[in-house]
Amino acid sequence: MAIIAASGVEKIFRQPKRHAGFGGAIRSLFSREFTEVRAVDGISFKIESGEAVGYLGPNGAGKSTMIKMMTGILVPSSGTVEVLGREPHNNRITNAAEIGVVFGQRSQLWWDLPVRDSFDLNRHIYDIPAPRFTENLARLTTMLDMSSYIDRPVRQLSLGQRMRAEIAMALLHDPKILFLDEPTIGLDVVAKDVVRKFLAEVNRDRGTTIILTTHDLVDIEEICPRLIMVDDGKLLFDGELKHLRTALGSRRRLKLEFGSDPGPIALKTAQLVADEGAAKHFLLDSEQTSILDVLTELGSGHDLKDVKLEEPDIEEVIRTFYQNKVQAGAVP
Amino acid sequence: MKLAAYPAFTATAFQSRLAYRNQVWSGVFGELVFMFARIAIWTSVFSTVASDSVDGVTLPQMITYALLAGPVLYWDYSRLLRDVGTAVKSGDIAVYLLKPLLYPAYMLASHTGNFLFDLLTVTVPVAIIIGFTVGLVPPASLFHGLAFLAFWALSFGMLFLLTTILGLAAFWLMTADSLDWFFNSIMILFAGGIVPLWFFPDWLATIAGNLPFAWVSYYPAAIYIGQLDPSQALTAFIIGIVWFAVLLAVLLWLWAKARHRLIVQGG
Amino acid sequence: MARLHVVIPALVHTFIRSKTEYPGAMVLGWLSQFAAYGSMYTAISLILARFGSLGGWVWPEIALLLSFHLLAYSLGASLSFVQFREMEEKVRMGTMDAILVKPISTWTYVVFSGLNIGYAGHIVLALGLMGWSLTQVDVTWTIQSGLLFLGYLVSAAMIVAATMTMIGATALVWVKSNHLYQIFFGFWELARYPLNIFPLPLQILMLTFAPLAFMAYVPVAATLGKPVPLLGDWASAAALLSGPLVTLIAMAHWRWCLRNYQGAGG
Repeated sequence: MAIIAASGVEKIFRQPKRHAGFGGAIRSLFSREFTEVRAVDGISFKIESGEAVGYLGPNGAGKSTMIKMMTGILVPSSGTVEVLGREPHNNRITNAAEIGVVFGQRSQLWWDLPVRDSFDLNRHIYDIPAPRFTENLARLTTMLDMSSYIDRPVRQLSLGQRMRAEIAMALLHDPKILFLDEPTIGLDVVAKDVVRKFLAEVNRDRGTTIILTTHDLVDIEEICPRLIMVDDGKLLFDGELKHLRTALGSRRRLKLEFGSDPGPIALKTAQLVADEGAAKHFLLDSEQTSILDVLTELGSGHDLKDVKLEEPDIEEVIRTFYQNKVQAGAVP
Repeated sequence: MKLAAYPAFTATAFQSRLAYRNQVWSGVFGELVFMFARIAIWTSVFSTVASDSVDGVTLPQMITYALLAGPVLYWDYSRLLRDVGTAVKSGDIAVYLLKPLLYPAYMLASHTGNFLFDLLTVTVPVAIIIGFTVGLVPPASLFHGLAFLAFWALSFGMLFLLTTILGLAAFWLMTADSLDWFFNSIMILFAGGIVPLWFFPDWLATIAGNLPFAWVSYYPAAIYIGQLDPSQALTAFIIGIVWFAVLLAVLLWLWAKARHRLIVQGG
Repeated sequence: MARLHVVIPALVHTFIRSKTEYPGAMVLGWLSQFAAYGSMYTAISLILARFGSLGGWVWPEIALLLSFHLLAYSLGASLSFVQFREMEEKVRMGTMDAILVKPISTWTYVVFSGLNIGYAGHIVLALGLMGWSLTQVDVTWTIQSGLLFLGYLVSAAMIVAATMTMIGATALVWVKSNHLYQIFFGFWELARYPLNIFPLPLQILMLTFAPLAFMAYVPVAATLGKPVPLLGDWASAAALLSGPLVTLIAMAHWRWCLRNYQGAGG
């Protein structure tokens, strides 16, 4: 059975309308109008126990809103969300005890107190038995290298140290699912790397299900075999990262290098996009076309030196995708 | 910086208040409730005495006094206190040293904007409502009316100086919150905003009548309803001006010290 | 999930530890608030000294009313005011989200992770004034009437905490709700005078939709055996029941607001 199931989920926010300028300010003294914002628009997916899923999308795509519905903070406007077989909002406390949540941009640690004090308070709130707490704390302290700062006030920590502490705090009670909202935002390269390796390890070795939102693809490449991509509240893609290219219709590039310029070459299986004489670039039409097909069609008799197949950069694929969408939207 | 720039701060402060409509409505409500409490109290106690007036003051005069001494003259200084106190505590005040302006004058300009905003959106509507429902009295005479205007200007300046001095004191003293409470405790009694000085025991009235706080609420409101004759009013005005000069000197001295401290110690 | 008898002390302990780094500021806060209330009460006593009574209440009776008002307020507000005034900020900054993912009642967490010890000055002043006024007023105390008086106090404190909760909860839906505290403090100001000095519509309002008359006037009048407008003989029972009733309404409102919580709005 799926550990998380979302079906036809929608979330609509009401926001007061603002009027610009002096007259507008006077006007809003007396009137109150609302605009409706559809942050999540008919999303369905299922997540199995032990999966690591990346929830990807640009700002305002409704990623955080979806996390908030799965953690019981928000109630869907329509559709259903089930986490561990329960509706999260109505079973908020039971649900909260079995999940861990990390918000990248808002700390759950007590600002003026040492890290250890926040951990200790969580021990009471989550009712963690003392031996298990000690064991988990020791393990997490080692894995995340926190021993040097666990007794320092949170306000003195670097962002990277704080994020490690946040993640450790969310794992102290051995949650079945770990939700992370933008866990690597603002971190430097080294800190990002530590967080990614750690999360991948927690998922692999302890079987903790991980759902993370991000707009950094490297997070997904290193932690999450599965990707859910959203934009404008709608689901764009759900599947393995390597299938994303095909799904989004992007094509692989094939580069053929010859000893000498063989002259113009036209092929049915591949489309010539750039001709540098001795080096020619082709686009492969579909995932089914293999290099072998191309080479077979090309036949022998050419002074072929090297064959290079370039997978498109995933970052670029997504960027192109969004750009196309913006352009498409610009045309009335 | 040219003097002409300061009115611009006044206008900006006025405009930015328009964005908070709920504050306007709750401000009107708050002042109305305050006034109704005063009116109820004075009506109740005046009904227990046999004559129409107490210490030469009638009930309608007392209600007018309460409106003037409260909402009109004792404007919401805590916004100013918080502005100065927070700028001092956070060190943001150093930014003003980089700008070609005099910080106290900048504060005066922008809080004049706040004052005018509150006057137009809160005080005047409240006065109109009270005027129509309960009734207010005109000034005791033309002289008292004109004198009230002069005393009103002095009152505004006095409360501005007291508050700004207090805010700058946050440099050396406590948090702005505690200062606000302490200042309020003095003003409640000595400004005469709640209870006019003529209801005080004589010794306390003498002390309060000579401290600068009385020029914020008591003197202007008492002159409006004619409790002081022209010669008393003139004396009070002169003493008020002296207090004003003293407080202005204190403010400028404090500001110089604060600047010095900022420059030498870097905040 | 969590055992409250362990979690609540742990929350309070953590909060106090996080505050006591600035003990000087805290003590000054107590002193300054003590001074401000003391000054206001002095002003009221000056009116009483000049006129003898207010609405048929003499100074010791008014002093009991004022001290009951302040004590009920500080007991209720220490559980609620600052915590729920910060609700706007919590919603805007998203810290409310972090509280909602904890396996503990949200109200319990908000209240006890910010249990305000800043009301010590209020409480000292209120107890002092109450102690003095109780020796001056004409009441014969029995165990029963003593318990009743305590019950009034608890009920009154409940009204304060419940109302503050409702205002704070409103921020969950409206994002802004702090201007409502200004309205609360308007009625709060009226609540410390004898209700019978106000016009009838206001009396009705303060006994129904803005029930702050039950915060001090009704229980103190019942204790002193003074006639209560509109309620008459029901004053004592109403004073006892109003707190629990407002609390029930506040609980329903709190749940409704949590269900309709929008976050900072997407």
